[in-house]
Amino acid sequence: MKISKSLVKLRYRYWPDHIFGELLQKQWMETAVPMVVLLFTIVFFSLQIDNFISVSNLSDNFRQASELGFVVLGMSLVLIVGGIDLSVASMFAICNLVVLYCMHVLQLHVGVAILLTLLCGATLGAVNGILIGYLRMRAFLTTMVTLIIFKALHDLLNFKIAVPISSQFPDSAAWNFFGYGSFLSIPSAVWVFGIVAIASHIFLTRLRAGWHVMAVGGNRRSAYNTGLPVNRIVALSYVACGVFTAIAAMFYAARLSSPGADTGKGLEITVLTAAILGGIRLGGGKGSVMKAVLGTLIILLITNGLLRMATPAGSARIILAVILLLAATLEIRWFKNRHKAVEELYVSPTYLDMPALSAEATGLGSVFALNDRLEHSEMIGLGDIESPEDVVLDRNDHLYCGNRHGEIVRFLAPDYKEHEVYARIGGQPLGMTFDAGQNLFVCVGGMGLYRVTPDRKVELITDETNRSYLSIIDDSRLRLADDLDILPDGRILFSEATVRYEMHEWQTDSLEGRGNGRIILFDPKTKKTTTVLRDLTFPNGVVLASDNESILFAESWKCSVKRYWFDGPNKGTVEMVLENLPGYPDNINKASDGNYWLALMGMRSPAFDLAMRKPGFRRRMSKQLPGDEWLAPNINTGCIVKFNESGEILEVLWDHEGINHPMITSMREHKGYLYIGGIFNNRIGRLKLEGADENFISSGKYHV
Amino acid sequence: MKTLSRVENIMFKALTSRFRSLGNQRGQSLSVPVFDGALKPNDVLEEAEVLVEKEGLEDLAVDCDGRIFAACGSEVFEVSMTGDLSLIIRLEKSITALCVLPGRRLVVGLGDRVVIAPGSTEEVVLTDAKGKAFTAITALSSCPDGILLICDASDKHSYPDWAWDLMSKNHEGRLLQYDTRSHEINVLAPGLAYAFGALQHSDNSILVSESWDHQVSRVGDRGKTQGVIEHLSGYPCRLSNAADGGFWLSVFATRTQLIEFVLQEDDYRREMMQTIDPKHWVSPAFSSGRDYLEPLQGGAVKTMGILKPWAPPRSYGLVIRYNANMIAQYAFHSRVGGCHHGISATAEIGDTLFVLSKGAGRILKLSSHSGEAN
Repeated sequence: MKISKSLVKLRYRYWPDHIFGELLQKQWMETAVPMVVLLFTIVFFSLQIDNFISVSNLSDNFRQASELGFVVLGMSLVLIVGGIDLSVASMFAICNLVVLYCMHVLQLHVGVAILLTLLCGATLGAVNGILIGYLRMRAFLTTMVTLIIFKALHDLLNFKIAVPISSQFPDSAAWNFFGYGSFLSIPSAVWVFGIVAIASHIFLTRLRAGWHVMAVGGNRRSAYNTGLPVNRIVALSYVACGVFTAIAAMFYAARLSSPGADTGKGLEITVLTAAILGGIRLGGGKGSVMKAVLGTLIILLITNGLLRMATPAGSARIILAVILLLAATLEIRWFKNRHKAVEELYVSPTYLDMPALSAEATGLGSVFALNDRLEHSEMIGLGDIESPEDVVLDRNDHLYCGNRHGEIVRFLAPDYKEHEVYARIGGQPLGMTFDAGQNLFVCVGGMGLYRVTPDRKVELITDETNRSYLSIIDDSRLRLADDLDILPDGRILFSEATVRYEMHEWQTDSLEGRGNGRIILFDPKTKKTTTVLRDLTFPNGVVLASDNESILFAESWKCSVKRYWFDGPNKGTVEMVLENLPGYPDNINKASDGNYWLALMGMRSPAFDLAMRKPGFRRRMSKQLPGDEWLAPNINTGCIVKFNESGEILEVLWDHEGINHPMITSMREHKGYLYIGGIFNNRIGRLKLEGADENFISSGKYHV
Repeated sequence: MKTLSRVENIMFKALTSRFRSLGNQRGQSLSVPVFDGALKPNDVLEEAEVLVEKEGLEDLAVDCDGRIFAACGSEVFEVSMTGDLSLIIRLEKSITALCVLPGRRLVVGLGDRVVIAPGSTEEVVLTDAKGKAFTAITALSSCPDGILLICDASDKHSYPDWAWDLMSKNHEGRLLQYDTRSHEINVLAPGLAYAFGALQHSDNSILVSESWDHQVSRVGDRGKTQGVIEHLSGYPCRLSNAADGGFWLSVFATRTQLIEFVLQEDDYRREMMQTIDPKHWVSPAFSSGRDYLEPLQGGAVKTMGILKPWAPPRSYGLVIRYNANMIAQYAFHSRVGGCHHGISATAEIGDTLFVLSKGAGRILKLSSHSGEAN
């Protein structure tokens, strides 16, 4: 029992479950599947055929790969825009004839011949482009018709000029280099293909025009509605396809000098197979150059390998066709189910061993003994305010809080009967604090750290921090900044509860129990934001400690409060202040007597604690049950604790049935009263504190 | 037959789960029947008149003259129509079941024994049947011809430990028949998934509630049972007669997907049973919401000051009216956020229905036709 338990512990400590879901979420994971297929193909044929991976074989392979690759690139462009081009084979054959005619019969200069052939390819592509782009004809039918027409044209031409081509040979070193040359022992065709591929990649991913292409493929109607010239983009993609095919034909012509009647036969099938194997979607909107390249390599290696294994031509085709079929099926399945796979894999609970609840937590005689002190608090804004996560008061006793409509609401002193919208933010305001200049600094869920100036201007302070090198998800954006405090020198320390979930998914984070959160420092002098502490379990409740060199913060799911030194001799160290609390700590604020108020947003239940030691149980629960049915921390209870820096609990205030204050997320002492907020509540509580300092103001001490 | 099909079921489940665990588990989502049709939720129970409020109320019984008796702790009271209680008898142990035989002879279940006419000269004590001692007497029902039906719900766990029986998936409840004239005791049906209520139906067949199988079964020949009301969304318990040959079924708690899930999770359930106090288990309950150590489900979080009535329930109040053809007519509810939960007994007199909420410790009084408008 003991051993298996520690094995489970080790497994969850060192095996990074969470990265699988994160990996799968990445766009570039789509390329991983063809990559694996490619590696598999290479391994398979190297085991079957000697010298499959030899320099000469590879060099020859790559030369052919580049020729095919150009056509695949062209086809991919057309597929990305949501079309298809079946006429590539015929265009390829015509361009082959044209360039051979220019070189062999007309004996033109290489440059001129290349230009003419490119023009020819562009023209043929333009025929498709105009028919499909401007006349709105169906891509499949149109290109099938042009396939036949171009083929017939080729046959006519071939009949007339095949003999003259075969009887003469150009005397051009450049042309020969084009066909057979290499530079740094890499074939010329590969060089050109490499350059074109990189350029296309940059075009598709980094340039406005490339984005337009992706947009048209992704959703033609939306693209049109946003004002993109859809017709022109579609037409131009066919022109580009023609040009790419022409380039391929030129390399082919230079290499073989053959005006054969069968040139390019079946090319469209090979090219389509390559594109789909690479993971380019038939439906449009998805695809990349990398995928086209991978698909091309796979197809070429397979055909080449089959050839070397002396497979009869017929069966080689059948094998290719079967592969195409499989790839198409896989493609559909993958695209349909990927988000489900992400859902399945993303939530990855970890082992969180909470010590048993202390007798004190449940005992009647202890400091946690139940009382009803919070049940009789005075109500402010009952029904007028929704989700006041944090409350703060200014020097003039006005009360500020956020609401779930993305506003900061101000209740006016002295009776707090009237309220007004102080500022509109757009996201749920969480932790708030004033600086000495009456600027309100506020953490906004999903948005970052903001400032509201005394004249009510909302300004962004920071919404990103340094990206950690080993994190798979992009953790530079602030997802859930939740509480802050201003340091004596004007820097701001704030916590981010989790980098893996959005604000409304906090419950999933509690189920996971991993250290997904961090503490971040903003320096107004350099305007730089840096992460100072990582791997914290839902950090929360940042407050400056009495020595002005450290902060206290809560780690909610670990039920502890810690202290972090940002300055002084202990700089960088973290120390435990309160551990094994009976509830989940949230915001911490100063009390007038030098101690601290701590909100417990909910209480631990033995059943949930046990679940935290059973990651597999929680993972299955998250998959099999809807979120509303999940076991959750018991947050229908209201509890506020007063403690001191040496970790003693001094006083406990209860609303244990959650009558007025279930889930207390914050409280703030101000001039003898305690103000109570809760993110799921529709009221703010106000409680008279006996014997508290009547002049105490909890925030607004330091200038930023 | 039934045991055979159960064995087959278990084997099939084991086989399929072996295959399922290889791939994803999406297909296995758990579901429980929803309140629909005749079970459409309302607040009738929650708004019903509170007749009696007393800690420890357990069972109700009616005699042939229409007098109502209630078992509360170790005492039996007669309940007047205005809610006054007059003590009939006090016993040495907590009463777990109550009924009245013709001739006003009281019968009480005291956990591990049944006492007929306690305190009188004719007192009879039953402690075992067919060589097996009683463990958890949960319900008693009087039939014509001097027959007494006895539910012995479990062979391992006493009545207060019912949650243990559910969580250990025990299926060893018995329905017994005692002939008050010949003093003969017979086992009508063994191997029941918690026998918690029995009744002789108007067609003379005998019905028994099997709480853990969420069904009411008809007892056939040679101990065989057949589910007649199946796939209930809660755990059925005691039954009582209604006017037109139908009956009232008390449902002491409702099922949730989480409980069904925990019942699949052997490792978690075992450790929960070993280390946690049963009142804080993930299990159904007669009442909830007063102890913050109880588990909570995500949907049951209080939002904007309200606990949503459709939140996943830990405890619930439900009485269902069936007609003579065993078709549900209507139901009375006390939903999540209410307090009349854990309904354990009903008694109908004329047009008035008396409902015992064990969770709230109350006897409620309402018109038995309150649901017909629905």
